[in-house]
Amino acid sequence: MKKTHIPKLDDFIGGGIPEGSSILFCAVPGVECEAFGYQILNGIIEDGHKGFIFTNVSEPNDIIYEFSQYGWNLEKYLEEEKAFFVDGSSNFIGVPPMGKYSINELSQIEGIVLNAIDDVSNGVGVINNLSTLIDYLEEDKIIEILDKWNKRAKANNTILVYIFTKWGYEQKLIDTIKNSVDSVVSLTSIEERVIIGQGFMVTSASWTRPQNNMVLFFVLQPGGVKIYIPKILVTGPYNAGKSSFVKSISKKSVSVERMALEKFPTTIAMDIGHVDHTGFVADIFGTPGQERFDLMLDVLSKEAVGAFIIVDSSAPQTFARAKEMINKTHAKAIPKIIVANKQDMPGALSTEQIREAMKLDKNIPIIPTTITENTGVEEALDALLTLLYGDTK
Amino acid sequence: MIPCIESGIPEFDELTRSNSGTGGIPENSSTLIYGPSKTGKSIFNYQFTYHGLSHDEPCLYITTDQGLKQLEGNMFDFQIPIEKYIAEKTLYVIDTTSNISEGMKTKTETIVSSHINNPTDIMVKVGSGVKYICKNNPRFRSVLDSTTTLLAYNDNMLILRVLKAYLMRVNEAGGTPIITYTENTADTMVETMLKSMVDNIIKLDGKTLTVEAMKGIGKRSSQYQITTHGIIF
Repeated sequence: MKKTHIPKLDDFIGGGIPEGSSILFCAVPGVECEAFGYQILNGIIEDGHKGFIFTNVSEPNDIIYEFSQYGWNLEKYLEEEKAFFVDGSSNFIGVPPMGKYSINELSQIEGIVLNAIDDVSNGVGVINNLSTLIDYLEEDKIIEILDKWNKRAKANNTILVYIFTKWGYEQKLIDTIKNSVDSVVSLTSIEERVIIGQGFMVTSASWTRPQNNMVLFFVLQPGGVKIYIPKILVTGPYNAGKSSFVKSISKKSVSVERMALEKFPTTIAMDIGHVDHTGFVADIFGTPGQERFDLMLDVLSKEAVGAFIIVDSSAPQTFARAKEMINKTHAKAIPKIIVANKQDMPGALSTEQIREAMKLDKNIPIIPTTITENTGVEEALDALLTLLYGDTK
Repeated sequence: MIPCIESGIPEFDELTRSNSGTGGIPENSSTLIYGPSKTGKSIFNYQFTYHGLSHDEPCLYITTDQGLKQLEGNMFDFQIPIEKYIAEKTLYVIDTTSNISEGMKTKTETIVSSHINNPTDIMVKVGSGVKYICKNNPRFRSVLDSTTTLLAYNDNMLILRVLKAYLMRVNEAGGTPIITYTENTADTMVETMLKSMVDNIIKLDGKTLTVEAMKGIGKRSSQYQITTHGIIF
């Protein structure tokens, strides 16, 4: 078993990758995926093994530079012969090739990579990029080659890491590729017009039953792949039930509040909670609803990946304020759910009436709830997770 | 009525004026400019880019056949100074030509490098570029000049998929993208597919500019010339 050195990933797949196994990083276009391959290679070499990078997307010099940006010294490993390149790029764009092996024509790829696998027994090989190979070779051929490489890797105890971008291929091809490797890690994006977050999730591993939690990450230079706990915002007008909502979805929560008019507590700073729901982990930040605290909204909303807008269904006069708060917390630009609270109150508007009154786009889910009775709360949470992670969850 | 953005070439906006009175490039649509080499495709883009920049519309510019320095020089030849917008960070450039390992001297938050045969990385950079630009601007422009180089260095099917992803990403974010292609550099099937993935098609042949397809108007054409002030009709 070898560690991937990707935070959390090792925990999900039972400690690491068994020698001789293959792992596919399958990314949605626009999600950073190369760093995963490079980080694994760097880690495994650091642990005292050998490795190679097959590249058909950048020249070796550019990859050395990339490594240096992450703070890893690939040049040193190359000098010490702990790492080498299979250069499948340079000859094709007309610059002098570099590395132990270079590829002049496509028919050589299969054999040369097999040699490279032999050279790093008990080590690791990174194939960057599988998508580019698919388009150059016939689809059937690529599956045949993958099988040969994987078999050879198994015989040599070499771990193979494939980098793959899902450019509009037919699902059948994607499935076949996924089935020909031992483990698949899906890299996906959280989007609301633009990519606002990136996540990874193990979708299969032949040696263990993987934990299929979604983990959000960013790629730092220097540093490489780092994971973070996403922030979810809970906002809405005064007395709509934000603190109660934070409390009901969180395992633990803290609220800074005082008694308003000595009758009921009102939040004067923020609510903080932590949610752990079907494997999804997030920090919850509730904003105060009163206008005099609006200056905090900007700070609290920074880097949030999703938002709950809590409204009092029985108080349509507060809807304008709710819309204002959506703007002030920049919640327009992130996935959001409208939580139509206080459905048990007399005169509470239905979700459709609220949509009409607030002039909300039909794509924004409105979930009827009565937070005090804990109805609809879980549905709201599920709805936001679906928006964030789509079908992958 | 189809809202349009001004192209930066007043005569072009006039040519494309529809009955409802608007002319230019339909906002949030995608455009292909094609034709033989040296017919002014890039110059059209320079004017399109500059017009946006000087009207507070930022631009995401992906250059695949000239480095940033060369781009700056070429634009300057047509009296288009972009230095200011690079400094103000409203012009976001993805340079796939200047070699990163040789150290792109000007690398900043908005001047990023990628690699001509690494579409995966180009798309990552497009993603972060769009996010950066979108932060403060609901509308923006984007130029990819040119697809010819991408097609030359990569498998054609792959690049068609990449272009589709690129156009979708920019459109979804509210931007108006233009891509260019030099005629007869890829096979006819690729050309047909390129044309089928955009909303508007403009052809430049050195003498005549033809709007072969555009949302809301029929085919139109006009004679043009390339001068030191760019394209004039």
